[in-house]
Amino acid sequence: MRRPRFEARVSFRVLAVVLLLLAAVSTALPLASPAGAAAKGKLVLAWHAGFASRWLDPQEHDGTATPDNFFTALHDALIKNQGTELYDHLALAERFTVAADSRSATFTLRKGIRFHNGEPVTPQDVKFSYESYRGAKADVFKKKTERVEIVDDRTVRFQFKEPFLDFAILFGTANVAGPGWVVPEKYYKQVGADGFKQKPIGAGPYKLVRHEPGVKVEMEAFDGYYRPVHVKQLVMTAVPEAATRVVMLERGEADIVYNVPGELIGKVSKLPGVTLAPVLSGSFFIEFPGFQDPKNPFRDKRVREAVSLAIDRRAMNQAETAGHGRVTGNWINPDVQYAIEWPEFERNVDKAKQLLREAGYPNGFDVDWVTPLPTFYSRGERIIAQLREVGIRGRLQTMERGIFFQRLQGGLKEFPGTQIILHGVRIAGSWSFWYEGYFKCGGFNSRDRICVKDLDAKFDQYERSVSPTERKKLAEEIQRGILENHYLVPVFRHAFVNAIGPRVVAQKWQDVFPTVTTGYAYPWEDLKVKDQ
Amino acid sequence: MSRFILRRVLYSLVTLFILSATIFVIVRLTGDPLALMAEASARPEDLDRIRHQWGLDRSWPVQYATFMQNAFKGELGKSFNYRLPVSELYFQRLPNSLTLGIAATLISLLIGVPAGIISAVKVNTWWDYVAKGVALLGLSIPGFWLGLVLILVFSVWLRWLPTSGAGDWRHVVMPALALGWYFAASMLRLTRSSMLEVLGSEYIKLARLKGLPDVVVIAMHAFKNALIPVFTLAGVNLVVMVNAAVIIEVIFAWPGIGRLLYEGIFQRDFPLVQGVVIMAGFMIVAINLVVDILYAFIDPRIRLTR
Repeated sequence: MRRPRFEARVSFRVLAVVLLLLAAVSTALPLASPAGAAAKGKLVLAWHAGFASRWLDPQEHDGTATPDNFFTALHDALIKNQGTELYDHLALAERFTVAADSRSATFTLRKGIRFHNGEPVTPQDVKFSYESYRGAKADVFKKKTERVEIVDDRTVRFQFKEPFLDFAILFGTANVAGPGWVVPEKYYKQVGADGFKQKPIGAGPYKLVRHEPGVKVEMEAFDGYYRPVHVKQLVMTAVPEAATRVVMLERGEADIVYNVPGELIGKVSKLPGVTLAPVLSGSFFIEFPGFQDPKNPFRDKRVREAVSLAIDRRAMNQAETAGHGRVTGNWINPDVQYAIEWPEFERNVDKAKQLLREAGYPNGFDVDWVTPLPTFYSRGERIIAQLREVGIRGRLQTMERGIFFQRLQGGLKEFPGTQIILHGVRIAGSWSFWYEGYFKCGGFNSRDRICVKDLDAKFDQYERSVSPTERKKLAEEIQRGILENHYLVPVFRHAFVNAIGPRVVAQKWQDVFPTVTTGYAYPWEDLKVKDQ
Repeated sequence: MSRFILRRVLYSLVTLFILSATIFVIVRLTGDPLALMAEASARPEDLDRIRHQWGLDRSWPVQYATFMQNAFKGELGKSFNYRLPVSELYFQRLPNSLTLGIAATLISLLIGVPAGIISAVKVNTWWDYVAKGVALLGLSIPGFWLGLVLILVFSVWLRWLPTSGAGDWRHVVMPALALGWYFAASMLRLTRSSMLEVLGSEYIKLARLKGLPDVVVIAMHAFKNALIPVFTLAGVNLVVMVNAAVIIEVIFAWPGIGRLLYEGIFQRDFPLVQGVVIMAGFMIVAINLVVDILYAFIDPRIRLTR
């Protein structure tokens, strides 16, 4: 009787030991299996411009909606924008909490996460990455942060001097700022900032194999990543000429190409096995620089409304993006915090003429220049043609991209007289970044061209407020104020048209471009290629 | 002779100095690079930080003095975009550009020189008309159009050659052809006019009077003399192709210096544009200097008249 019982006990112990071992192995090596082992094939992305090496270093995020394409492959953040999550997708952090008074935020790292060189990702790396960050909005983080505390070997806490309500959204949006992207302190210090840009080591799903500055980045699946990585080799190659990118796709030399211009959309849509991916991107809207001047016809709200009524937004969308864009009512993208939904503005030429008559312009008037964002000159021409129907006569002014932004930043003196600017903008994160950049008096791109004191006062109140409810209310009020008064006239949302080749596994284009806050194909680890 | 060489070296240095000052001012006249380096919602603090980081907050004379001081040490500054020394970037791309430039030069010589000779020898015949037609086409067909047509034919229809990038010899064929085609036309025209000039000279007439066969007259007497300006032009063309094949390198995504320059201009990367232009200028000045000295050696009248 004893022996069977002994055997049963032994069997039970063996089973328990085996289970414990399995559990230990799966905890200690959670990553050996998911990423590298299953990864196979190669995926080539044809990028639409030159590469800047600074895009490989989150420490110097330039604040534009570009570096995230590279960060999301090579690096990883505590939290980030991914899929439909605007900023709070848990990445290196297993969980995070922001204190009720917004005076601190605490992050707990996942177990067993490592950098590409095998070193563990530690709270010290998080602290270093945050404190040595010198990219976009660095001054905001520095000004508001009191200290970064390492609570234990997996927990790090950010203590703020005052309530920092925008912390999580700034911290977690890859196309706004980069202090949440963790770099290995030891390696970074060892090679220096410039060395790091040439040979970056991160904790992302792909590790660098070869970097030809400005030309090509070759990467390989990182088998230490905490999520499965499906494609073994990921190559991003810069091909500035659109026609060449399309031919690369046609020949199978590239699997994903970015930025198919309007004139090539028809051709690409007919290529066998190729899927168009018209990702909704920036918003195009009209600005009336210096409209507060009593001599400026756009001072009259009825004139601004007439412009809005004259614009044929649907025709613009059809002609410029083959209908892949979207006519929306707000000039701020809906994929940012506190952006409001607004109904599509109507087109009514008769009503526009009536409003112009009432405003004292029965025969219309002349606009000195209509200046579109380079290189969207044809959009400017369409605006001119549509405005001419109601008697507003304008001339197209084209500028080189750098000159355009320089003149924007030069303020009203660069746009004297009666002028119209057609902007195209994409800013992620919060509605407030849009306001700050393109509407606020003194803003980076708005300068002194628009100065609406009551709205700016509300915005100051918004910035000072520590109540999310009040902030939301103010954000909505301000946006309504802009739209009801036609201070800015929304036109449509541009489509950043990309194309996916037949080797990529996708039922629909959203499988490859699932992240709503970007036009790029991340998360890269989720992409799959067919067996070759 | 040594005074002549010294004078030419001095002229070269002055040329390079003027070039460096000109390009320094011109890139700055295009505007503030921060307009492209900073994000839409940047704050003044962000702009100050970037401006200070790159020394753009200092006056132009100070920036120029620093630039020249570094240039004398062989440092052309650090690229805004790539965060690498410009000289390093330049020499990284140089082998690709040399490959393309040499291949295109060979193509231009192989097409231009024989066609130019035939055109000159068979002047005012249909050979000549065809050659002149080819030259006209070569000079008037835009490089980007020819590049796209080559891609369409050889990559898309025939599937013989890869569309873009650098790799094995197959990657070089189309960009070299597209680039060499234009220069072949100029070679053809120069060879033709040079040959016509030589063929009309007294010593050629004498050779013919001596009863030498046409082949000998053309090959042994005319050809050698007519080639001097052709090869001089080929040298300068090679420098241009190496440093400024912007359109062809963009079309074919060829990782050369022309594309580096294009990206530098596009991004207002001042140090990069300055560096590439200075290097190109240096090459042209050096080649001209060598040619001048060689001419002076060959023909003493040159050093006496200057």
